[in-house]
Amino acid sequence: MGIADARAMHPGIEIVEADTQADRRLLESLADWCDRYTPLVALDGQDGLFLDITGCAHLFGGEKSMLDDMLSRFFHQGFDVRAGLASTPGAAWAAARFCATSVVSPGEEKKTMAPLPLAALRLAPETVASLESVGLRTTGAILQAPRAPLARRFGKALLMRLDQALGHLEEAVSPRLPVAPLSVERHLSEPIMQMDEIERLVLLLARSLKADLERRGEGARALQLLLFRVDGAVSRIGVGTSRPLREPGLIGKLFHERLAALEDVLDAGYGFDLVRLSVLATAPFEMDQTDFTGDVSGSDEDLALFVDRVSARQDSNAVLKPVPVESHIPERAVSFVPFAETGKASGHAGNRVGETALARPSPGPERPIRLFPQPEQVEVMAAEVPDGPPARFRWRRALYEVARAEGPERISPEWWRDGADEATRDYFRIEDADGRRYWLFRQGFYGTTQGNPRWFLQGLFA
Amino acid sequence: MATSAVAQEIVFALRQKIARIEGTLPERLARPAGTPSAEETMVLRRHGVTVVQDLLLTGAENFDTALGGGLPKAALTEIHGAQTRDAGAVAGFALALAGLLVKNAAQPKLPVLWIGTHEIFREAGFPYAPGLHARFGIAPENLMIVEAPKLADAMWIAEEAASLKALSAVILEIRGNPHKLDLVATRRLHHRAQDSGRPVFLLRQAAQPEPTAAPVRLVVSPAPAALRWTITGPLPDSIGPPGFAVRIDKSRNALPGQFTLEWNADERSFEERRPDGLGSKNNGAVVSAPFHRTDIAPAAGAVLAFKPATDAAAPRHQPSRKEHAAHRRPRRAG
Repeated sequence: MGIADARAMHPGIEIVEADTQADRRLLESLADWCDRYTPLVALDGQDGLFLDITGCAHLFGGEKSMLDDMLSRFFHQGFDVRAGLASTPGAAWAAARFCATSVVSPGEEKKTMAPLPLAALRLAPETVASLESVGLRTTGAILQAPRAPLARRFGKALLMRLDQALGHLEEAVSPRLPVAPLSVERHLSEPIMQMDEIERLVLLLARSLKADLERRGEGARALQLLLFRVDGAVSRIGVGTSRPLREPGLIGKLFHERLAALEDVLDAGYGFDLVRLSVLATAPFEMDQTDFTGDVSGSDEDLALFVDRVSARQDSNAVLKPVPVESHIPERAVSFVPFAETGKASGHAGNRVGETALARPSPGPERPIRLFPQPEQVEVMAAEVPDGPPARFRWRRALYEVARAEGPERISPEWWRDGADEATRDYFRIEDADGRRYWLFRQGFYGTTQGNPRWFLQGLFA
Repeated sequence: MATSAVAQEIVFALRQKIARIEGTLPERLARPAGTPSAEETMVLRRHGVTVVQDLLLTGAENFDTALGGGLPKAALTEIHGAQTRDAGAVAGFALALAGLLVKNAAQPKLPVLWIGTHEIFREAGFPYAPGLHARFGIAPENLMIVEAPKLADAMWIAEEAASLKALSAVILEIRGNPHKLDLVATRRLHHRAQDSGRPVFLLRQAAQPEPTAAPVRLVVSPAPAALRWTITGPLPDSIGPPGFAVRIDKSRNALPGQFTLEWNADERSFEERRPDGLGSKNNGAVVSAPFHRTDIAPAAGAVLAFKPATDAAAPRHQPSRKEHAAHRRPRRAG
């Protein structure tokens, strides 16, 4: 029916264009919410979710009560949901869409599936049409038909779907999120809203997590806190650590910073009724040896914890460490890596090869102490043509008289990265009349390019 | 042996009296007799408890003396710059102090943390590790940089970092005179620095002096660099070691003063500008020759071991000018 027809029948009808993106987001948020039942949640097409509840049902008092709980919660959120529960994904899919009874007990797949139409087998519409054209209208009819001619005529997909539905063939549900190696959770009868209550709960959860981590001999490198709101929204709050961590107090501190940073963003609404703490990544935990006084030499740990807290408060890459890179181009000679990554590479600072090699700076051309990530263009009024320093220049609308200049230091472009037509730079150290020292360069040469070459200020000297 | 509080009060009163007579500050007189390195420590009385304070010697003797022995190590130190464009010199001075700390520190080398707001790093440039390594001896692996989006974040990070013993120095760089950085905030920073025994350098670009809890405030501006010293003497038109014009603006036990300091990258220490205006003699950084170079060959002749031939030292077998060319003498008619 077109819009015009619909309007003709119901003039007051409200027409909203389909928004598949929004539908998808809604489905994903529902999948997020379903995390409370099982970590293995997969999206199914436009409108369905697969939940692998293997080993989870007993936590909710059995399959039937789990299903009832789920349906009632969805109903209260305002969704009309149909569910099926079976030993195979295929049978559950069929049960949700075509059966009155939602729970298919094991071994009864055949009986349940037999009266259902062919669409219950998740087949392509053409296959269904061609099967119906030869008179096979129910799944039962196909079950009774000989397999070999079916496969020859309608392809392998038909039999595969059939076998999957009946459990003869294994079908894996691929979860949309990786399953955390460890997670602990707490269901709350009374939803919590206050930040300090959440923090106290995190401490509690971290304490029970510690025993598991100790048993595995591991510490957490990445943690995630899942807050399930009563109305279905799920907040995921992640923190990373720069060294394996298992102390509940330290984990609590990290989440304290993260929650403090998120205080404005995190909407508690009517409260959270399920809080889960998951360990997303683990690493072997090295025990520190205590000395005779019982103290652990803790400066490295302090630093790591400081970095983690700053990273939790800001975003993940707040504390940076410069790493020299083999390049002549000044802005490429340094790259910045997050502190956590450098800490991972070397457990003990001091016995690295790179450190000894860089212990003494190599005597090279002078380099500024501050560098502008983007060289700032300056207006040069008078420069000694062809390759002299400027006599005065204008930077950020202020005029500078050049008192002294050193240079040029010529730095050729990296043709293997920038191509052959990148202009050569001639660098000058320049001191102005007040004693400020700058690093200017001229891009290109006078006379060769059209117009005059441009000048840039790239750094400041001490 | 613990002396009684009354005795301490008497000593303190006497010390103040002596200080008044000698025209100096009482804190400077308070050197404990037992401490071996009396030069590098200073005694402060805090809450009636005598505290021996570590001092950082800059190497420029007059400057150290004016500061009362050196910069306090376990304290907040304010370093001001008048304009944002002076950021190179101001940061350079603070980093030179950090370089001194790193040089004097025992193994293992502790990192230097540089915290800046997004604004200041955008305005004055991001720290450049190769330059810092060559100039101040702070290796890239000993440098940690935090770019905080807002001032409040920077302050929080600085407070957390100031209480860490695992850092050799904390540099907090901000711009202007924000309200958040008041007496209370700086006092918190100062107390944490005192507890951890690590200095916090508060760099304030383009800021007006205002009351803070920092015991020392220095105002740094760039000074024209001296000439580069080569084996043949000063190299004309060259830019030598960086100069800093440092003014002691506020200090509990220093008198206001103005100094021109130079950073010697090889010795890694400060030196006072020599009166002849020349740079320190040993700076061996490789530079391309200045553009306005005069041919340095004639200058080289001046310091050769051989003395140039003069009249007096003329070899015997050659005629002196007077003996030479007799035919050029004006002939006398007659």
